[in-house]
Amino acid sequence: MVITPIHYIVVPLLAAFAIPLLVKIHKELPRIIPGLVMFYNIIISIVLMQQVNEFGYVSEVIAGWKAPWGINLIITPFSGFLVSLISFMGFVIWLYQYRFKRVIDVGELKSYGILQMMMITGAIGIIITGDIFNMFVFLEIVAITAISLTSFYRHRDGAEAGFKYLLIGGFSSTLILLAILLLYTQVGTLNMAEISEKIHLVPQGMKATILVLFIVGFGIEAEMFPLNGWAPDAYSQAPGPTSAAFAGIVVKAGVYGLIRIIFTLFDIEGAFDFLIIGGLVTMIIAEFSALKQTNLKRMLAYSSIGQMGLVLIAFGIGTKTAVFAALFLMFNHAVIKSLLFMTGSILMYNSKDKTISTLNGMGKKLPFISLLFSLGAFAIVGLPPFSGFWSKLYILTAAAGEEMILLIGAILAVSIVEIVYYFRVVSKMYFAEETEHITIFKPSVNAKIAMGILGAVILIIGLYPDLITGYLHNAADMILDKASYIDFVLNSNAPVQ
Amino acid sequence: MEDLGLKIFGAILTTIMAFAVGMTYGGIVRKLTARVQNRFGPPFYQNFLDLVKLQSKKTNIAHGFMGHTAPVWIIIASITVLMFIPILNGNLWFPNLNFHGDLIFILYMMVFGSLGMALGAGQTGNPNSAIGVTRGLSMMVGYEIPFVLALVALMVQYHTTSIQDLMQIQHESGTWLIFSNPFAFLAALFASLGMFRYSPFDIVGAPAELASGPMSEFGGKYLGTMMTGGSIFSFIKLTLYVDLFLGGAGNPDHIGIWATLAGIGVLLIKTFTLYMVPVFYGWVSPRYRTEQAIRYFWGWPTALGIIGLIWAVY
Amino acid sequence: MNLFFIILLILFSSAILAFISNRIVRGSSGIIAFIGITAASILFFTQLSIGSTYSFSLGGIQMQFGLNSFTYLFAIIVLGLGVMASLYSIQYMKGKERLGYFYFNFVLTILGMVGIIFSQDFITFFIFWEIMTWSSYLIVIYNGYSVSKVGIKYMIFSALGAYAMLTAIVSIKGIYGSFMIKDAMAAGAFNFTDHLYIPILLLIGFAVKAALMPLHVWAPKAYSMSPMSFTAVFSGAMSKMGILGMGLVLASIYSHASPEDSVNSLILKQVLGWLGGITAVMATIYALIQTDAKKLLAYSSIAQLGYIVVGLSTGTQLGVMAALFLAVVHAIFKGTLFMAAGAVEKQAGTTDMTKVSGLIRKMPFTFFASLISIIALAGVPPLGGFVGKWMLYESLITESDSYFLVIVIFFSSTAAFLYSYRFLFGLFLGQEEKETEHVKEAPLTMVIPMTILALLLIVTGLYPGILFEPIAHGMEYLGYSNVNWDMSVLNNIWGEQTNMSYIFTSIGVVFVVVILFISLKGYKGTRNVGTKEISTSGEIPLEHENLTYQLDYYKPFERAAAPLYKRSMNKIWNDIGNALEAVFNFTRRIYTGNGQTYALFVIIFLVILLIFKDSLFAN
Repeated sequence: MVITPIHYIVVPLLAAFAIPLLVKIHKELPRIIPGLVMFYNIIISIVLMQQVNEFGYVSEVIAGWKAPWGINLIITPFSGFLVSLISFMGFVIWLYQYRFKRVIDVGELKSYGILQMMMITGAIGIIITGDIFNMFVFLEIVAITAISLTSFYRHRDGAEAGFKYLLIGGFSSTLILLAILLLYTQVGTLNMAEISEKIHLVPQGMKATILVLFIVGFGIEAEMFPLNGWAPDAYSQAPGPTSAAFAGIVVKAGVYGLIRIIFTLFDIEGAFDFLIIGGLVTMIIAEFSALKQTNLKRMLAYSSIGQMGLVLIAFGIGTKTAVFAALFLMFNHAVIKSLLFMTGSILMYNSKDKTISTLNGMGKKLPFISLLFSLGAFAIVGLPPFSGFWSKLYILTAAAGEEMILLIGAILAVSIVEIVYYFRVVSKMYFAEETEHITIFKPSVNAKIAMGILGAVILIIGLYPDLITGYLHNAADMILDKASYIDFVLNSNAPVQ
Repeated sequence: MEDLGLKIFGAILTTIMAFAVGMTYGGIVRKLTARVQNRFGPPFYQNFLDLVKLQSKKTNIAHGFMGHTAPVWIIIASITVLMFIPILNGNLWFPNLNFHGDLIFILYMMVFGSLGMALGAGQTGNPNSAIGVTRGLSMMVGYEIPFVLALVALMVQYHTTSIQDLMQIQHESGTWLIFSNPFAFLAALFASLGMFRYSPFDIVGAPAELASGPMSEFGGKYLGTMMTGGSIFSFIKLTLYVDLFLGGAGNPDHIGIWATLAGIGVLLIKTFTLYMVPVFYGWVSPRYRTEQAIRYFWGWPTALGIIGLIWAVY
Repeated sequence: MNLFFIILLILFSSAILAFISNRIVRGSSGIIAFIGITAASILFFTQLSIGSTYSFSLGGIQMQFGLNSFTYLFAIIVLGLGVMASLYSIQYMKGKERLGYFYFNFVLTILGMVGIIFSQDFITFFIFWEIMTWSSYLIVIYNGYSVSKVGIKYMIFSALGAYAMLTAIVSIKGIYGSFMIKDAMAAGAFNFTDHLYIPILLLIGFAVKAALMPLHVWAPKAYSMSPMSFTAVFSGAMSKMGILGMGLVLASIYSHASPEDSVNSLILKQVLGWLGGITAVMATIYALIQTDAKKLLAYSSIAQLGYIVVGLSTGTQLGVMAALFLAVVHAIFKGTLFMAAGAVEKQAGTTDMTKVSGLIRKMPFTFFASLISIIALAGVPPLGGFVGKWMLYESLITESDSYFLVIVIFFSSTAAFLYSYRFLFGLFLGQEEKETEHVKEAPLTMVIPMTILALLLIVTGLYPGILFEPIAHGMEYLGYSNVNWDMSVLNNIWGEQTNMSYIFTSIGVVFVVVILFISLKGYKGTRNVGTKEISTSGEIPLEHENLTYQLDYYKPFERAAAPLYKRSMNKIWNDIGNALEAVFNFTRRIYTGNGQTYALFVIIFLVILLIFKDSLFAN
């Protein structure tokens, strides 16, 4: 069988539809099928990345309609990197949630597996599609599944968080749709490469309006301040694996959208400065808020928002080093924050209420989990020799290259705040007196393996970052090289196969 | 070898002289004080008699290792400092080790003995001793400030840290440093009040309150040895002052036996005069409490020292 | 494989092994840590030659390991003290919990420092710097949650310093295009002419580790609350990493200073010198009111580091030499003192001087080591401490512009006698109390390192030249030329000298004569008594009568110096912290938790963007 990008979309969709039928055959199948699909995704990624390395691009034309008329899927080093990351995270998250305690009822299990898989598919779709309306459709898939997953536990808080997400997410969809509509009236095409080619024909005022609509729309998904009100609630109320998926997958898709719009579609310089400022404000406010949280998952959520702010800053700087740093940070954030959410939700699950103050003495009760949580905490604040250090270093180097000394100061000042709240948790886990005796639900072996994999990735990349820097450099080149993207999509779009 | 023998002879001679002079001065002060207080007082050689008595005691009380070695420390400090301080300017009879240590070294070496005694006193376990020691050390922080200010002023003014050079400068210019930097001298003089621990700065020993403070547990050979060290030490302090401020004694151009004796005579006159300052001051003053004493030294004496330093720089 | 990597790998694997082995054989971690550090040291001192380098690339950044004569000096401190402290630690930590955790971080801290010494570029420097920081943080909080506040404080200040440093590092890269330390020095990156903030940020970064005012507030508690075997390294060696960095930056500033720079570097000199001086004074007067011996030593460490900074700030040959000499000697005596305090803690259960006293007869070796170290600390001749102090004073006196600094330093070191005596008296002298009757001398493996270090202090006093040699080489690396030194004669630039061998002769001869005299004379009539047999005006003290004098020890001094105690840097920082907390609390309230508010945010944001779209998103 020849592997093409369409497999990313088709296989999960087929599986999703098949699950309700397969559950009749064996009740374990709904657990296993998503895993197989995720594993297949990884295989696709490996194969396609090899092709990308060989040919530079891989694209697939759907139903024989060539660009700019039809929908086509494009794997570039940039999107390929993100898709691989998402596939990998998807598989690890599945490994972690396989036999996840709360999901015992088969009916729920079925819907959970389907939703999770659809969410990942949507995220991949956003990234690989070359058509902006298609992108919107995938974004809707992601939003709807994410909202459902947020309120998956049918209790009051979950429902409230889901509703907030729905409310704000509705804005997002509306604004993006509106923007696409306006854009279509101006350039008469939905193909991103062609839009990019024709964008200079659009009048300035109109262009800015469209950009604003896009920024607000995707900004909501990318958790930009002040559009991120939904995020802390959603993160903290969603099941553990879903929180990890939010950090590792959904946000990445949102940021991808924003970056695609600003870097490829439009040619407005001001947008970069706007990204820096928006990212800075997001980061500062989120990290400040994180310090005062009492709920561990909320704290992690704010921290996640702050990290995304940093990613936006890095993209906003816009030089090659900066974009490279941003991609590195996205990678780190996906791995580390997912690890933190995974370990954090196990810790929370075992504490009396979900507050940080009940974490006392967890280091003794759950040594492996606590160790990994600490590893994640050390990595995310950017201490060497863990992977988080490198991305922070590259971002600072990029900022220093542009002589943005105040920006460096702000980023590092916020890092100190980060250190405070993460280390507070770590020292509590290991050194506080155990308050009372509670029975511990040990995590299952597969969850341990999943977290162990992430921990190993953090360590290995931290000690030897060269493993991924090559891919990241290619991806960064790709983002900045708009012309060859257009050229490729419109002129030589024969599929590789 | 002959040279070494001469050196050892000189060193022993210096030590004996310092010891004799120190003891005699102490005796004279006892006599004078008694007369001022309308008492008859002991003879001026009383200190020698005391020493003989102490050394000939049959039983001695030893308070462990530090208590045992405390007198040793004091003697070490006195004799070592003595070796490094020029007694007479340019005289070959007492060359000792004058060129091998400078003022900073002297300054630090002078503390050696106090620290040793403090440790010895500490081991005895007598609370009075410990209280005396804390008072003594605290007061030291007080009077060292003006003292050091004065010394730094001298060193800076003449670009040397060697006592010998300072003496030589005074000899060559014909002016004593007391005149070329009077403020420094005054600061040092005030500091000397604390150093000699006469009233009003005698809270360390504080007779009738702390027994005799740090010394209260020592007797017999220990006290005797300490007394010896103390006597040498008071001679050292006086000689240091004379060397630094009063032009020293002796003349490097004439080094015959008579010139040497004359030099010693001049030294004795100068030191005795200087010695009378704290004694006189003590006669007319009541006792300060420790914090008052410290505050006293940090007041005018320090101000004078600062003026002296500024004077020296500009 | 390269020798640099092998040494780091030995340390790393012994850290991992120490972590694991405690689960298999209880208490074996300490031995593994000791073996690992010793093996690394042996390899280092026998195989590695000064001047060798090894370049490699990581993450697209050129990196280089190497050893130069300046860092070699610090390697002596780190590895020497590391071996001693890890030997000491075996018995000291015996029977405590989480030994694996402790030794893992212990060895990792040493690894961090060795890495810093190897680093020839800023990125490896920073990486190892951070490894050192977080591993030491993990040990600071080792003693329990109540300490974690101390740990957080340490971490915050360390991060503050490290990030100041990182900002400078990336700026250097941005401006001069290289991460190499040598390139930066050659390009004059630390000079004041172009980018004033680079040297200042770097100095801030190093000042945190060197516990310089006003960035010192983490130190007293972090030092005193860690296990003592680690504090010996913490205060002895790790603080010297700050000195290493400062030395690099300052030497580069002074040796490359252009004429138009001189005003700036004069200001820097004065500011640094006075900061060091004030640090020394304030830390000293706080040290002497402590009742806990460990805290006393912690404050004393800060004060001593103040002297070192003063020495470095002069920039003269003698001053820098004094600073480096003091750095080595401080590592030795403060290491010994913390070990001694640890021995007392282990044997008597506490180092609170109001609770223990009179241990001299019970722990004679510990006392001996403490005595020697205290003499060195106080700067009393003839030990190594005096040599350093002498050079420091002479360098200040012979150098213009710093006369008043001399007085400040002198005040601090005179006041240092107070706490020096307090330490010895509080733990070892004074009344022997019933509570400490059971106390015995510390185990052999704890006594040996202390004794060795104490003997080293005597040797460095008699032959300071053995330290002058590496120091002189190190200074030549920093750009000083013709650094002169003698085996045991100290010289200043005015030509005066102090001869340590004569001093030793004089003291030695007198000592032998007098000790013979005093011991032999009336030997039979000498009666040895305990501390209860004292003269109390003819009365016999009863059992319950309190003859111990430990409380309010220096009350008179405290009263006299009352104005100095009024202001506390700690309070100022706490106020800043509280103000920040208030800000954080305020920002947290932006997230109201109300969906309608969030929707409103979105709309307002959209409207604002649409209004300002033309100015924001112009072409």
